[in-house]
Amino acid sequence: MPAWRNAATERAKRGIGSKSRHTRMSTKQAPESDLREFYAAESARIREEFAARSDGRAAVHGRTALVESIAMRLWKELISLDTAGPQNFALVALGGFGRRWLFPYSDIDILFLHAGGGAERNLKERIASFSQEIWDLRLKLSPAARTLAECEKFDPSNVEFAISLLDCRYLAGDKSLFDRLHDQLIPKLVARESRSIVQRLTDLTHSRYNKFGNTVFHLEPNVKDGPGGLRDYNLAHWLALIAAMEEQGAWPDEATLLPPWLRERFDAALDFLMSVRCFLHFRHGRDDNTLAWLAQDQAAAEKIGAPDAGSLTASDWMRIYFGHARLIHRVGLQLLEEFPAARPSLYRQFQNLRSRLSNAEFAVVDGRIFLQRQEKLTDSELPLRMFRFMARHGLSLSSSAEHQIEELQPALAAAPPKGAQLWHYLQEILVAPHAAEALRTMHSLRLLTPLLPEFQAIDSLVIRDYSHRFTVDEHTFVAIENLHSLRKSQSKWDQGYSELLDELEQPDLLYLALLLHDTGKGTKPGNHIVGGLEIAEVSLARLDLDPPDRETVLFLIAHHLEMGSALRRDIFDPEAIRQIADKMGTPERLKMLCLLTYADIKAVNPEALTPWKAENLWQLYIGAANYLMRSVDERLRGDEDDEVMTHLRTLTPAAGQKLDTFLDGLPKRYLRTQAASDVIRHLDMAGRLDADPVQVDLTRGRHWYELTVVTLDRPFLFARMAGALAAWGMNIVKAAAFSNEAGVVVDNFFFTDRFQTLELNLPEWERFKTSIHDVVMDKADLERMLRDRLRSEKNTAPKVKVETKVELDDACSAHSTLIEVIAQDQPGLLYRVSSQLSRQNCNIEIALIETEGQTAIDAFYVTSGGKKLAPVHQQRVRTALLAELTGT
Amino acid sequence: MTKVEAVIQTSKLDPVKDALHEIGVEGMTVLEARGHGRQKGHTEFYRGREYTVDLIPKIKIELVLADDLVEKAVQTIVTAARTGKIGDGKIFLSKVDDAIRIRNDERGDSAL
Repeated sequence: MPAWRNAATERAKRGIGSKSRHTRMSTKQAPESDLREFYAAESARIREEFAARSDGRAAVHGRTALVESIAMRLWKELISLDTAGPQNFALVALGGFGRRWLFPYSDIDILFLHAGGGAERNLKERIASFSQEIWDLRLKLSPAARTLAECEKFDPSNVEFAISLLDCRYLAGDKSLFDRLHDQLIPKLVARESRSIVQRLTDLTHSRYNKFGNTVFHLEPNVKDGPGGLRDYNLAHWLALIAAMEEQGAWPDEATLLPPWLRERFDAALDFLMSVRCFLHFRHGRDDNTLAWLAQDQAAAEKIGAPDAGSLTASDWMRIYFGHARLIHRVGLQLLEEFPAARPSLYRQFQNLRSRLSNAEFAVVDGRIFLQRQEKLTDSELPLRMFRFMARHGLSLSSSAEHQIEELQPALAAAPPKGAQLWHYLQEILVAPHAAEALRTMHSLRLLTPLLPEFQAIDSLVIRDYSHRFTVDEHTFVAIENLHSLRKSQSKWDQGYSELLDELEQPDLLYLALLLHDTGKGTKPGNHIVGGLEIAEVSLARLDLDPPDRETVLFLIAHHLEMGSALRRDIFDPEAIRQIADKMGTPERLKMLCLLTYADIKAVNPEALTPWKAENLWQLYIGAANYLMRSVDERLRGDEDDEVMTHLRTLTPAAGQKLDTFLDGLPKRYLRTQAASDVIRHLDMAGRLDADPVQVDLTRGRHWYELTVVTLDRPFLFARMAGALAAWGMNIVKAAAFSNEAGVVVDNFFFTDRFQTLELNLPEWERFKTSIHDVVMDKADLERMLRDRLRSEKNTAPKVKVETKVELDDACSAHSTLIEVIAQDQPGLLYRVSSQLSRQNCNIEIALIETEGQTAIDAFYVTSGGKKLAPVHQQRVRTALLAELTGT
Repeated sequence: MTKVEAVIQTSKLDPVKDALHEIGVEGMTVLEARGHGRQKGHTEFYRGREYTVDLIPKIKIELVLADDLVEKAVQTIVTAARTGKIGDGKIFLSKVDDAIRIRNDERGDSAL
């Protein structure tokens, strides 16, 4: 018999509840040393057993039994020698103690339950002594004293108590009193208050999640309160229990609370987390549940929670942790969303409106997606369509849909969609407003890595960097989320970035670059850019991206740290700005990299993008954008030894001097914006000018048609081409005009086919090209063509009114005057502006035409007589353009 | 003990930090700051909008040192942060009464 039992017997002999005994207790003397020794010895034994087997479940059960034995001992000593007495009073274990989950340093929740009627007053001192003894053992006791009637009342400001009752367990005292609480009162309370309880539980859970950035994937997670921690396991259990009690009006069979396919994985996750929390408590000597880096190293070395695994690095071990935490978090969230009472009614009304989104494949109920077909799925593209649906509408998956989709995983892994088919889906998911959540869910259900196996390298990857808060995969999703959130942001700086995002021609490429930008951290942590580029090459080949698109994505990955690094230099230094601008080459790439930098820094941790950095990044962007605009008309020399020109010479050795002559005098921007294959095509076209003085080429890209005209410069040339396109009903979205020293002009027009003339009538391609040719040669009556077109156009009012602005700038270029026209986009606008410029005796050296929504932003670099425009001439041009555009 | 507050160019943070480490100064507080002295602002036009920056981004370094180290630290900062152009920044020195290490109540120079 242990020493303390003898002592207990001796003390019991002195008489329970005797006045002398209570007097001693009330003076706060230390508990008997034998009891303290017993507790210390038993705790050490539990610790040793844990050290030997790292079995968390055994350790928490062991500590529960130990604390229970002490409580029973004190009960006998201080309250009643008979453990089933006294009448109308009971000792009840609540919360973690109730469910036999006492971690080495966790609190001990107990309830002193009274029948009521004032009898409890007689026990007040004894209860105080009982609590005092436990405190003196340095156990953290959280006692509550309630009558049955008080337990029945639901207090919204103390939902924790109502929840703790769900884990209540009889310890000692009047068993019939406890039975009334357990069998009658709690089921009644839950049936009556389930909505309020779940509503408060939802609020508490969301505020807990907010504290942890709403993600499981922290570099140093909290295994109790963090998303995916033990608290989420409890949450899932409570929600399932409340739902079952509400339905059955009684305590359900615990074994039926979760579906069988989930139970085993859920239990495995619980075992793991229990072991980890025990390990942390023993390691820290207190209730500290943060899995810090040093603790991760030790846990991996000791294979905590994974005794059968082979040798584990800290990263490997953390992946096991995140795998379990992800499952627990997902199930908890799903139960929370599926519980009918979990949302306020306004929210539910909104969600029900969304049921109109249902289609033949997916049903939307309460904001969750269900599959219309309940049988086993075979279509491996269905998950992609579902995630696209999710990304577009911001819906979550129901647990049944999730289970059905999970079952498709092996089929998807065996024969994943590839090439253009996969890119098409991925593209649509990436640009949709809720892309990050859809990608997260795909990843969590193991459906992203079959499509992009390279992503596996950064799955739940912890890279130890003091500034980073999340794992690499989560950082990637947060970065994508940051870009999409720009559209909702009210912050002053975000508005500028948001406008940039709207201006992008191919935002899908930026999102794809973000998705892949840090994959190299999984393969080459020392130089993740090189690693990322190697990975991206493989991914992009699998997605079968067009070569120019591939080049853009690789460029963004290769340079994704450049603008962030530039913030550490003088962002107003012209040389620093020139370097950045030269590296970017084009305004489009500059915009993309600026946005990537914004999203990437902001995803490091919620405070990483300070207003200081956001403003500096913006200043750097506008400095570089202006530099690109101002240096746009610097000319090439045909004999330059520029890297691109050398590359071109090796591609077309036969062209020899002809290439240098063709390039001589073209603006430098021409080489920055044209692919090598395009330059060679233009050179060929220029070589055929002797046979036909107007060379016309028409191609169809993914987004637009591209018309290229190579001819000798002449008055009204650009205007006539713009007019011909307007007469055919084409909408010019982008254009560029370049001319070389010999007067050869290369004009590019990118347009959409508003009336599907070219798309539906292949023979029209030739007629269209001939028409352009004839207009340029002045063989067709352009004015009549335009009148016919404009007559048939419906005059619809614009959705957004754009104020017309005409700005002239003489200082931004060494050779030309810049005229910037901002106006409401409308058919024939470019023709009218460029015709007016020609009438005003302006020679268009370079034209850069952009359309952003309903706003046309046209920049013309013009000369007159080979020089900049004189001030009087500038004034005349400005007045004429304003009159043309506003009728004033 | 002396508190050294140095306002320097953003591009000079790394050189100043490295130079201070070399002379044995390990601890410092770095703040992102904005301001200007005689160096005035900067204006850019973008898309027809004017962006004026009258407070220029700077870095402020704060360190508290034992008095015998102060002059060496000041010289180190000056050498590492100087470009000779306007906008290089300033250093301010002020006396500190005491320092307390929160962890163990150490006071004075030994708390630094």
